[in-house]
Amino acid sequence: MTAATDAPVRPRPPRTAGAVPLTAVRLLRLELRRNAMPWILPLIAALFWFDSYRPSTGMPPIWILRTFWNMGQGHAIIDFGPFVAGVAAWMGSRDGRRGTADLVTATARPRWAMQLATWAATVSWAVGAYLVFVGVMFGVYAHQGLQGTPPWWWVAVGAAGVAAFSTAGFAVGAYFPSRFAAPLAAFGGFLALVTSSQTGFSHTSGWALILPTNSNGNYGADSGIFYPYLPDLPIARVMFLGGIAVAAAGLLGLPARAGGPRLRWTAAVVTLAGVAAAGTAVGLADTARPGPHGMVIPALHDAASDRPIPYTPACGHAAGVPVCLNPAYGRYLPDVTAALRPVLDEAAGLPGTPVRAVQVAATYAADQDVHLSPTAVIPAETIGGSPPVLRLPLGHLNLPGAFGSDQPEFVNQLRLQFVHAFVNAGPGAGTAAQQSVQAALLQGAGVPFAAQPKVLAIDGLPPSGPPAPDGPGPASGPVYAAARRLAALPAAARHAWLAAHLAALRSGQLTLGQLP
Amino acid sequence: MTAAGIHRPPPGAASDPAARRAVAPLRLARLYLVSRRAPAALGLLAALGGLLWAGLHWHWNVAGGAAARQFLPLVIETGTAAVIAVTTYGPFGEPERATGRWLPLLRLGAAVALTAAAVGGLAAGATGGYLPGGTLAMLRNVAGLTGTGLLSAAVLGGAFAWAGPMAYLLVTEGALSAAWTTPWVWPARPPHDLGGALCAALAFAAGLVLITLRGARVSARE
Repeated sequence: MTAATDAPVRPRPPRTAGAVPLTAVRLLRLELRRNAMPWILPLIAALFWFDSYRPSTGMPPIWILRTFWNMGQGHAIIDFGPFVAGVAAWMGSRDGRRGTADLVTATARPRWAMQLATWAATVSWAVGAYLVFVGVMFGVYAHQGLQGTPPWWWVAVGAAGVAAFSTAGFAVGAYFPSRFAAPLAAFGGFLALVTSSQTGFSHTSGWALILPTNSNGNYGADSGIFYPYLPDLPIARVMFLGGIAVAAAGLLGLPARAGGPRLRWTAAVVTLAGVAAAGTAVGLADTARPGPHGMVIPALHDAASDRPIPYTPACGHAAGVPVCLNPAYGRYLPDVTAALRPVLDEAAGLPGTPVRAVQVAATYAADQDVHLSPTAVIPAETIGGSPPVLRLPLGHLNLPGAFGSDQPEFVNQLRLQFVHAFVNAGPGAGTAAQQSVQAALLQGAGVPFAAQPKVLAIDGLPPSGPPAPDGPGPASGPVYAAARRLAALPAAARHAWLAAHLAALRSGQLTLGQLP
Repeated sequence: MTAAGIHRPPPGAASDPAARRAVAPLRLARLYLVSRRAPAALGLLAALGGLLWAGLHWHWNVAGGAAARQFLPLVIETGTAAVIAVTTYGPFGEPERATGRWLPLLRLGAAVALTAAAVGGLAAGATGGYLPGGTLAMLRNVAGLTGTGLLSAAVLGGAFAWAGPMAYLLVTEGALSAAWTTPWVWPARPPHDLGGALCAALAFAAGLVLITLRGARVSARE
């Protein structure tokens, strides 16, 4: 038989340029179809609704507050992370569990490339589902008319977190191919997130800022209302989580069966690059310092991020005094004017009474002690300028519905802070005389003596009466006795006494015995 | 490779038919447990008991109040439930169901034995220090969480049965933070609370019944 030798040699057909990408796309499509991730998505959807969306609905309709729980404290990541890590571990362990690893290794494509196709499909499902769920939630929020702007940078952090958990879980499955890889990856993910959450509660600076569930001192105030969300910290977090994902994906290519020497070197470089990115991000987070608009990382900061967001104020009147707020707070204008009306009435005609009230931006600080306590670093309401203007940082107050607060508490806080500023008590309780006049003016403005110890406690002020071990204490003692005498005077007499003694009171020279 | 010798009894096997009949159930149970990776599961349960011991001994804790203090043991208890739930996964599918007359009993026995082993391991781990709620609460929590794991094995399949206890843990976390009092969130209830114990027992019983009668769901995706 000579046909074989006589036959002309056929030249090898030229490889088409698009063959490799086309094969990769086909492989990815196959892996997307065969992936187990969609099976867990209904459960994640239910948990996402329960844990991320449902608790947020009670918060005021402002983006930074509505998303505090799910984006700031990272509950969206907590709802996804352990579950996608578990399913990714299941996918990563597939060849090992089925005993087909040798078979797959012997195919034309390197094993690492095959694994990357499965990994890409798994991560695509996980991150895609995260973006869809968050998109739907934000769509519902937008439909509800939330004020301010959405925290897009934190959405990116969440997506990077989901990718990191998926990839780490996949690597666990690939290295330990067992049915127990999935629950252990999920268990590890949950433990990591719980530790991250709780560490975040006690750390407002340093390396712990890199943790994606740490909202302490970096998510709040008036971000997205008066000024944009600072992207510095989210960029560092994306870098950290992305670095973990890249390092874990690189780890897959390190074993001898993963491919040839060149491919394994590439995998080693990829792993090192991921570790370097994550380490650099931790280092960057360690340099973060609180700026007025959020956490500033000098190496990442762009001055353009500090530009205020322009707005046309929403204005009303309280006792003839114009009160202007950012339109994002427009729905609270009636509450603010109602709160200020009686205290402005009490102060009308006295020196230093504001002629205007304007809302100012609430700013961030190293600690969150933003009220009136002696250690406060961010001022509450202030009165200053000529003519005097009342400045209201409403973003520092608990708006009605936020964190268990209600409308009466909001109104009482506004009244206390006004009177506190009016008698010039400064940070801390002030002198006994100032406390006494403050109590009398609050009583006149509709905050009864009995309710005042609680209002003081909410604002971080020490009690004006005797302290109690398990509560704000009673409204008794010499300060309240003097306050009751002052409040008992006819309005005209009280007004005249205040006009005569206000300067001495403000300078701290008046004693309790000099009160009427 | 030839088929020669396949009729020979395995070395050490009883030659007497009566004796063979006597050891057959034990052999069946052993093979079933091996097919479910029960030895590995026992190792993991022991490791989780060790983790609890270390956590209590060295006072590993997360910041926060009573709810946060309770959380580390609860996460470990959830881990044991997840491991037990995953042992329900069987690689043989339909052939095993068609031929395994004793399969329901084997499923029941394996689930109960592993739960007992988990409780024993965690009780040993609890000697490392103060366990919030004590052993009674731990027993209730492990039983209830294992019940959710077995239920999810029947619904999602053995491979993804771990998702049930994990999801329950997430719900419990929210409930502990919000101070819920429903007995269905039994980890949030005091150790001697009857309602919480009944709900946990009900979940465990329902899981056992379902896994005994139906077994874990078999899915093509696995």
